[in-house]
Amino acid sequence: MTAAEMTGDANAQNVASPALNRMGMALFSLIGVLIAAYMSLYKLGVIQTLACGTGACEVVQESPWADFLGIPVPFWGVGGYGLLLAASLAGMQPGRNGDRRIAAVLFGSATIAFVFSGYLSWIEATRILAWCRWCIGSAVVASALFLLSLPEIGRLRGGRG
Amino acid sequence: MAETKARKPKRPASAQGTNLKKVYGLLAIILVVGIAWIGISVANRGGAVATAPVPLTGMDDMKTLLQQAQGVTSGNPEATAQVLIFSDFTCPACKQFAQGIEPSLRTEFIDPGKARFVYYDFPLGGVTQQHKWGFVAARAARCAGDQGKYWEFHDVLFARQIEWSYQKDTPVREFVEYARLVAADAGVFEACLRSDKFADIVTANRQLGVQLGVGSTPTVFIGGRPVAGWNDYNEIKAAVLRELGEEPAK
Repeated sequence: MTAAEMTGDANAQNVASPALNRMGMALFSLIGVLIAAYMSLYKLGVIQTLACGTGACEVVQESPWADFLGIPVPFWGVGGYGLLLAASLAGMQPGRNGDRRIAAVLFGSATIAFVFSGYLSWIEATRILAWCRWCIGSAVVASALFLLSLPEIGRLRGGRG
Repeated sequence: MAETKARKPKRPASAQGTNLKKVYGLLAIILVVGIAWIGISVANRGGAVATAPVPLTGMDDMKTLLQQAQGVTSGNPEATAQVLIFSDFTCPACKQFAQGIEPSLRTEFIDPGKARFVYYDFPLGGVTQQHKWGFVAARAARCAGDQGKYWEFHDVLFARQIEWSYQKDTPVREFVEYARLVAADAGVFEACLRSDKFADIVTANRQLGVQLGVGSTPTVFIGGRPVAGWNDYNEIKAAVLRELGEEPAK
C-alpha cells in the first residue's frame, strides 16, 4: 500500500489505480459473508451441527442474544458483509478511488460491524459465558475490515463526491 | 531521498490490472472453498445416522435373541426383584412412567438395593411422525451411556420429548445439545450417533419385546409377568413386594 493510499490522499493518488485497502476489504468481506451464511444455514436448520471445536457454538446460537431486533444475528452478518463486499468491489473499479459515497459506505459499515462484533464478543464473555469459534472468526474479520477502512477517512475528507 | 521518490515511476496500468486479476482470483478461490465447505456441511445433515432397525440373523431363536438383546440396568445386580420395562422415548405414556412412577420406584426399591431396574428399547417406529425418532433416540441414549450418562440422557429425552420427537429431520442437533447438558463429550457422542452403533442392540431389544408379547409401551414385567397397571404405583409396588416375599400393606 502506498503512502497516499494509506492516508487516503485522493489528490496524490492515481485515481485509476484500485486502492489496495479496498482489495483487502473485498477479501475479508467475502470471508465474512461465508461465515455468516454458514451460521444462517444452521439457524434455518439446513445444517444440523456446526463444526465447533470449543463445542459452544450451539450454546451461543440458541442463546437469547442470538437474535437482534427480532432477526437472527447471522442474517445481519450476511447483509452487512454483503454490503461491504459490494461496496469494496465497486470501489475497486477504475476511476472509483475518490468516490466519497463508496468511502462513506465502506467506513460506516465497517465501523458498525466492528462495534457490533465487539458487543457480541462482550456478550459471549460476560452473559453467555461460552465462545463460538465462528463468532470469534467473524469478530476478527470485522476488526480487519475496520482497520482496512481507515484510509477511507482521507477519501471522505478530500475525495470527490 | 526526495529526489529519488519524485523519480519513482508510477505503476503501469498493466500492473494495476494484474493486481485486480490477482484479487479476483483470490476471491474466486475463497468463494469456491467456502461454498464447498458449506455444501459438505449441508450434505452431512442427518449423515449416516442409523434411524431404523437393522437386519439381524437368528431373531427367531430366543437363545440367540437373549444374547443379542441388552437392557440397560440400574440398581443391585443381586437384587431379588427384577423390574423390566420395554419403553420408547417418543411415547408420552413412557414419559409418564419415567417421571411419575420411576422416581418412587428408585427411592423405595432400586436405590436401597432391593430391586434391579432393566430398561429395554422398544421403539414403536411406524409411519407416524410421533414415533419416527424412537429408534435413533434409543441409540442416542446408549451413546450417552458409553460415557456413563445413560440415565441422565434418558431423563432429558423424556423431559424434552415434545421438542425433538416431532422434528422433521433427524434430531441430531437436539441430541448433541442434550449430550452437552448431561456433561458428555459432544464430539464423541456425535461420532457415535452418526454411525450405526447400537443399532443391532436396539433392534434385538425390540425383537425381544415382540417375542415376549409386548404390544404397547410402556410394558412392565416384574417377576417375569407383565403388570397391567403400569401407571398405578401401588400395583407396581405390590408386585415388587411379592417378588421380595413381602406382603403389601392393605
